[in-house]
Amino acid sequence: MSATISQAALRELVTEWIKQGKRVVGPREVKPGCVLYEPLESSDQLLLEGFVHPANSVKEFIFPKHEELYGYCITGNRIELIEVKPPAGEQVLIGARPCDAASMPILDHVFNWDYKDELYDLRRQLTTVVTLACTAHDDACFCTSVGLGPAAERGSDAMLLELDDGEYEVRCLTEKGKALFDGKLQASERVASVAAGPEKRFEAQQVWAFVKEHFDSPFWPSETLACLGCGACAYTCPTCHCFDIVDEGNIERGVRARNWDSCQFAMFTLHASGHNPRPDQPSRQRQRIDHKFHVYPEKFGEILCTGCGNCTRNCPVGMGVLSVLTAL
Amino acid sequence: MHNIYQPDLMKVIETRQQTPDVKSVKVRFLEEARGKEFSFRVGQFGIFSVFGYGESTFNICSSSNWKDHLEFCFRRVGCVTEALWSVEEGDVIGFRGPYGNAYPTEEWKGKNLIFLGGGIAMPPVRCAVWYVLENRADYGDITIVYGARSVADLVYVDELDKWAKHPKVRVVRCVDPGGETPDWKGEIGFVPTVFERAGVSAENSVALVIGPPIMIKNTLPVLYRMGILPSVVYTSLENRMKCGVGKCGRCNVGSFYVCKEGPILTMAQLARLPADY
Repeated sequence: MSATISQAALRELVTEWIKQGKRVVGPREVKPGCVLYEPLESSDQLLLEGFVHPANSVKEFIFPKHEELYGYCITGNRIELIEVKPPAGEQVLIGARPCDAASMPILDHVFNWDYKDELYDLRRQLTTVVTLACTAHDDACFCTSVGLGPAAERGSDAMLLELDDGEYEVRCLTEKGKALFDGKLQASERVASVAAGPEKRFEAQQVWAFVKEHFDSPFWPSETLACLGCGACAYTCPTCHCFDIVDEGNIERGVRARNWDSCQFAMFTLHASGHNPRPDQPSRQRQRIDHKFHVYPEKFGEILCTGCGNCTRNCPVGMGVLSVLTAL
Repeated sequence: MHNIYQPDLMKVIETRQQTPDVKSVKVRFLEEARGKEFSFRVGQFGIFSVFGYGESTFNICSSSNWKDHLEFCFRRVGCVTEALWSVEEGDVIGFRGPYGNAYPTEEWKGKNLIFLGGGIAMPPVRCAVWYVLENRADYGDITIVYGARSVADLVYVDELDKWAKHPKVRVVRCVDPGGETPDWKGEIGFVPTVFERAGVSAENSVALVIGPPIMIKNTLPVLYRMGILPSVVYTSLENRMKCGVGKCGRCNVGSFYVCKEGPILTMAQLARLPADY
């Protein structure tokens, strides 16, 4: 037994969610040739085919690019702190690629070890993820090298798999997913076939050993010399989560906010003394690989990479995790 | 919602200019009840902030036995410290913490202690010195070697005299060659050389070495020659931090998150980490 939904019924359901006041986010062609995960104003904006991966990732909807942590108000030498309103309002991420959905349970670790980041946790709880299984991949994709695949279910509450006639098989994977599609699905015998993923490109387990043994290797400057340090890889990565905390305002009132940051920037690790532990792009690229394939697995038991390929697609000089790791 | 990033408000109760570009600040919790329940261990750090300018990370350089206030010390070097420089008594600043691990003061019991500090790194040594002096019976001989570039750059000078009056405490102060004044009575030379000349016994000793990287680098061979092994030589890593709670991703040295597993570690532990600090 399986359950299916037609594309028309799916779009009607999206309209219903929007009407209910949910924020619905999905792949959308924001300008010709540019697909992004964006909040949808109407269900016809939802793109369900004809793209491999949006140029951004879904992380900004649970971990915003800019997030106010609290406000402050200064009168003379009196200071009042203003608490932020906790995130409220449900959201549905529909059409998330499996590599994006998988990033969320991976990120849960870092936001919850010891100190709980409730801003993040609340957004996570309010989010239902409806993944769209992949039917195609491009040269940048490498999910199969990090243990995922075109229909990997990690992090999904429900999964849509395309059938051959514009219908979708719907697999409800969690209670949240079941609730979202309750009463909307047709019982069916049809089961979608899963597309072949990209060929495996490297052995993730070997990366750790390599980074450990080749910390000062000429490999790093030779493979990463082209890096411009723009940070596009980190900003479009579903798992990069580094952030900065800054004050924005004036001497009377303002907010303390966190903004996305990237280990590719010189200021990221610069000490007050002028010393910088990672003084150049090769050392920063090494950190990015080391963090994803050694530090995070050692701390949390998981690779901090889902093989989405966004770092490669968005890199102005054609680098990315894949080019570095296949060169190992 | 509990917000881990929201600070406590602290009233500044005293500021003191220690050198031309270093100040120390004493603060107290505005909310009395918070102050009563608060505790920390020497070696831990806090994230201090001036609203409108931002947050900065400093060691809490007062002893954990002092319940009345917290103290930190900073050099005027960037945006936040520039703003802190003009903070006055009565002003309110932010504080989050305590974060990180602490000095293993339990393990140090019964040992002779060697404290080596350089320049602005004296405050994190200072809290440990006061702590052990307040628990004097638990520790053996104490040697403190403190050096700075010049006489004017020495911080907490009056306290060095107080420490020296305690029994079985030896305080050696030094300035870099050329940094002395005509009436300077201390040693002239760099911390490692002055320490070696001081002829301190290595027997049953542990050392805490905090200072600029070059001082640490040159002090280690001296300690090693004396027979004080890297497993009992402690230091503190001073990496740039933002969150202090293991999330923002910048203070790590390999898998070692300085804000959580550090900042205090032994030289033996440090030697096992990648050279990324």
